[in-house]
Amino acid sequence: MKARLALAVAGVALGLWGLRLLFGALEPAALVRRPVWLGGAVLADDFFLVPLTIAVGWLVTRWSAGPDRHRTIGAVRTTFLYVGISSLIAVPLLLRQGTGANPTVLPRDYLRDWLLLEATIVAAGVVWFVVQRSRFTFRRSRASSGDIGGR
Amino acid sequence: MKLPAPPSEKSFASPLHHPRVATVVGRWLGVAVVVCLLTGLYSHFQQDTPGWLHIPSRPASLYRVTQGLHVLSGTIAVPLLLAKLWTVYPKLFAKPPWPPSRQALATIVERLSILVLVSALALELFIGFLNTLQWYPWPFPFRQTHYALAWIIIGALLVHLAVKLPLIRAHWRRTSVERKPDSLPPAITGLTRRGLFRTIAGAAALVGITSAGQSVTALGPIAVLAPRKPNVGPQGLPVNRTAEAAGVTGIDANWRFTVMAPRPLTYTLDELRQLPQSRSDVPIACVEGWSQAARWEGVRIRDLLALAGAPTNSRVRVVSMEKAGFYATSELPAEFAADPLTLLALRLNGDELALDHGFPARIIAPNRPGVLQTKWVHRLEVI
Repeated sequence: MKARLALAVAGVALGLWGLRLLFGALEPAALVRRPVWLGGAVLADDFFLVPLTIAVGWLVTRWSAGPDRHRTIGAVRTTFLYVGISSLIAVPLLLRQGTGANPTVLPRDYLRDWLLLEATIVAAGVVWFVVQRSRFTFRRSRASSGDIGGR
Repeated sequence: MKLPAPPSEKSFASPLHHPRVATVVGRWLGVAVVVCLLTGLYSHFQQDTPGWLHIPSRPASLYRVTQGLHVLSGTIAVPLLLAKLWTVYPKLFAKPPWPPSRQALATIVERLSILVLVSALALELFIGFLNTLQWYPWPFPFRQTHYALAWIIIGALLVHLAVKLPLIRAHWRRTSVERKPDSLPPAITGLTRRGLFRTIAGAAALVGITSAGQSVTALGPIAVLAPRKPNVGPQGLPVNRTAEAAGVTGIDANWRFTVMAPRPLTYTLDELRQLPQSRSDVPIACVEGWSQAARWEGVRIRDLLALAGAPTNSRVRVVSMEKAGFYATSELPAEFAADPLTLLALRLNGDELALDHGFPARIIAPNRPGVLQTKWVHRLEVI
C-alpha cells in the first residue's frame, strides 16, 4: 500500500510539473487549441485505429469458420496487421514526399518504397501460408496411412 | 426502428482482452517509454544544460546512440501502444459507476488518469514522428510541448501503475495457458497468447528495422520508413539548415575570423589554412534521430585558445554569420573546448566544406547534438 501511495504522489507531482511547463510560455489562444489536439489523439486511437483492428479481426475470424480455413488464418491475420501498421507509419512520409525543407529531408521515393514493402510483407505471408499448409497436409497424409499410429 | 444495443464490456469475446496480456504488452511499452524518456532528457539537457549537470565530451558517439535510440524507441512504441489499447479496449465500454460512492469516485479518477495518459502519449508519439520529417502542422511550439508532455506522461504512468499494482503483480508471471504447446488454439481460430505476443513483437521489429537505417548505416538501404538517408546530401552528409534558409551567401575577400580573448586574434581564411591542421572522425548526430559518420579537418579549438592566451578551462561562445534563429550562437563548455577532437573545421570528407555544411568554417565537437555544431562561424569569444 505504501508503494502504491508513493507512486501515486510522485505521479501527480510530475504530472502537475508537466502541466505547468505545458501552460507556461504560451499565449492564451494556443492554450485553447492544445486540448483539441490532445482530444483528437484519443479519438483517432479509440474511435478509429483500435475499432478498425477489431473489425478486421472479427471479419477474418468469421471468414475462418469455413472448412479447413483455421489452418491459414494465422498467416492472413498477421499479414493484414503488418500491412496496416507499416502503412500507418508510412502515411506522413507519403503525404510529405517532395515537400521536405531541403533536398536531404525525405529524399526517398516513398511511394515506390512503400509499395515494395507491402509487396514483401504479402509475399512473406503467402510463403508462410504455403509452408503451414504443406506441413499440415504432410502430417495428415502420414496420419491417415497409419504408419505413425494415426486415428 | 430499434437501434442495436451499444457495445458493453462483454461484447468483446476474445480471451486475449486479459490482464495477463495487458501486463506483458504494458511491460514492453513501459521499456520503450522509459528509454525514450531518458534519451529525450539527455538531449534536452544537452541543449539546455542546468548548472548542476556535467555533460562529458566522451564517448564521442554517445549522442549519436542516445538520439538514435530516442527516435527508434518512439517509433517502436507506436505498434506497442496500439496493441496495449486493443488489449484493454473493452474497458472503454465498462458501465460508469452508479450510484455515487467512494468506490465510484476512485473509478472516475482512475479513468481520468488513463485519459490523460493515452491522450498525452498518443500526441507525443505523433508530434515526435512528424518532427523527424520537419513537419509542424499544429499551432503550438514543438519543443516545449514535447518536453512538457513527457513529464505529464511519466506522471500519469506512475498513477496508472499505482492503481494497477495488485493486478500487475498477480499477472507478472507466466501461467499454464502459455506453457501449453500451440497444437490447436483453444477456440480453433483464435490466437493464442503466445501467438499474440509473437505477432506484436514482430510488428515492433518490422517498424524498427525499416526505420533504424537513418542512424544505423548498415540498415540504410532498407530504411524505407525513415525520413532521412544518412548518405544523401552535399559531401555525403544530410543538412538540416541550408545556407539559403540561414541567409548566408558565402564570403568575400574582406572576411576575417576573429577570436576575442586576452590576446585577440584575426585570421584570413588562408591564414587559418596555414595553422596546424588536425583530423577528427566525429559523427553529425541530429536531434531528429539521423546520424552519419564524417571525417573533419581543421584547427583544434584548444590550439586557438592557447594562441589567444586564454586560460585553460575557458568556455567559448561561438558566433555564426547566420542572420537569425535559435542557433546563430552556441556555447562550448570548457570540457568540450579543451577536447582534442573539437575543431574549427575547414574540410569535410577530404574536400573544402560545402556552403550548406558551414563554409568557410564550422564547429565540430564530440558527443553533441547537430544543432549545436554551429556553421558559418566567424567569431569565437572566450568567456
